Amino acid sequence: MGVDAELLFYALQTGLLLGGFYAAVSVGITISFGMLDIVNIAHPAFIILGAFVAYYLNSTFGIDPLLSLVIAAAPAFLLGRLLYKMYYYAFERHGEESLQGLAFFFGILFIVEIGLILLFGVDYRFVEAPYISTTFNFWYVSLPLRLVIPLVVGLLMVTAIQLFTSRTFLGRAILAVSQDPGALRLVGGNPVKIKEIAFGVSIASAVIAGPLLIIIQPVEPSIGRDYIGRVFAICVLGGMSSLRGTVVASMIVGIAEAVTATFGGPAWAPAVAFSLLILTLLLRPEGMFQR
Amino acid sequence: MASSLSIESVSAGYGAVRVLSGVSLRADDGETVVLLGTNGNGKSTLIKCVTGQVRPTQGRITAVIEGKSHDLVGMATEEIVGLGIGIVPEGRRLFPKLTVEENLLLGAYRTGARANIGANLEFCFETFPRLKERRHQTAGSMSGGEQQMLALARALMASPKILIIDEPSVGLAPILVTRVIDKIAELKKALGLTVLMAEQNFQQAIRIADRGYVLVHGKIEFSASGVEDLRSSNVVRRLYLGL
Repeated sequence: MGVDAELLFYALQTGLLLGGFYAAVSVGITISFGMLDIVNIAHPAFIILGAFVAYYLNSTFGIDPLLSLVIAAAPAFLLGRLLYKMYYYAFERHGEESLQGLAFFFGILFIVEIGLILLFGVDYRFVEAPYISTTFNFWYVSLPLRLVIPLVVGLLMVTAIQLFTSRTFLGRAILAVSQDPGALRLVGGNPVKIKEIAFGVSIASAVIAGPLLIIIQPVEPSIGRDYIGRVFAICVLGGMSSLRGTVVASMIVGIAEAVTATFGGPAWAPAVAFSLLILTLLLRPEGMFQR
Repeated sequence: MASSLSIESVSAGYGAVRVLSGVSLRADDGETVVLLGTNGNGKSTLIKCVTGQVRPTQGRITAVIEGKSHDLVGMATEEIVGLGIGIVPEGRRLFPKLTVEENLLLGAYRTGARANIGANLEFCFETFPRLKERRHQTAGSMSGGEQQMLALARALMASPKILIIDEPSVGLAPILVTRVIDKIAELKKALGLTVLMAEQNFQQAIRIADRGYVLVHGKIEFSASGVEDLRSSNVVRRLYLGL
């Protein structure tokens, strides 16, 4: 294989693996933005929060980041419910969610970021776990565990949410709630409660993606900003509320970034997501899949 | 066990506009009661008072479900539905991006109906074969008549004891209205439902009515104890037949 072809092959592999992780990161936006019409720009802040929880538990108590993931899930769910309650009572109820709600989440984004800086400083932090430096190699395929594990967890998360929204009453109600909240009342559901639970799931998924992130790379408080563009680009490209779309779009973004970083230099990688977002909005604003 | 609905001296409005004044009516166990009147006379507002979407300024609304009495005024819509009151709303209010089957499954959302979801779904597909054919089609892509059938079926998924239907004929071609009314007749007999139906199409409504009330400018102008009464009433003639 020529050098370029080999580089391309590795970029594709990395991109695919990274795509699995990006799916974990974005599925929460598919829920909050795609299904609930909430522009939660603070979503990446919760990913970083989850990453620092994993760092703290790992450096202080030696707890494996995957265990931190399990530990942080339930409190994150409750935090998400609380945040939605605040958002609803202050803004959505009065119809002021588009501007004021957005400002609210911007505020949350900065508060979380600055809180983390005050607690942990601005240095890069990492976790230690036995699988982080392990890589499986065969033929031209290189599978670093620190990328494979987030891919597996990411796909499991999306599958779990897909089953939840298609097989349970609450899940189906979440799919319906933004289409006609009044009609949901007519079948016996409370749209506010349903959105509250869905948003809890969204925030929990972000916090769960945190330990996955810190397994992949060292983390410092402001890297959440790199993810704002990515998650919304993936959500829109995938087709807003489509879970299948989230997975496919994540792979596309992952591969596009990896190939760009390999051949164009790493500095261009953040522009990839925004470019894809602009292209999608220009050429096919409804995204790839409907559901 | 008996189920019935009673509305006593209800007044309601929107802001400064008074729509209903002192309206009283009842639907007893197994009866189909129709609420008649041309557009703008308060039928929908009265239905919305029953379903909790509009709060009456005066009066009482009581539902007896299987022997147990409930005061509906002040209850949220979802609580009222949770008691066992099925609603077929004006304008259908389906979930357009969800399939026929998903809309039906959501119809069984109230806790009292979840255990019967399988049986109810089968019953709906038997009763509405068109819906079974299109079970994976999105609700928004169906014709008006099919959507009305879906709205009706969805309300039945809740295993209701009382069925509230608001203007089922709106936007439908006459032959479709006939089919919808036929369906309602078939269902209320099979399921022993107590039905309150608001409908401006007089001829269609009286086909299934046991009793009827005529609403004019927010007041009951005439209450009939049978179809012949309705047909011969002067009020009705004036309103509908221009005589």
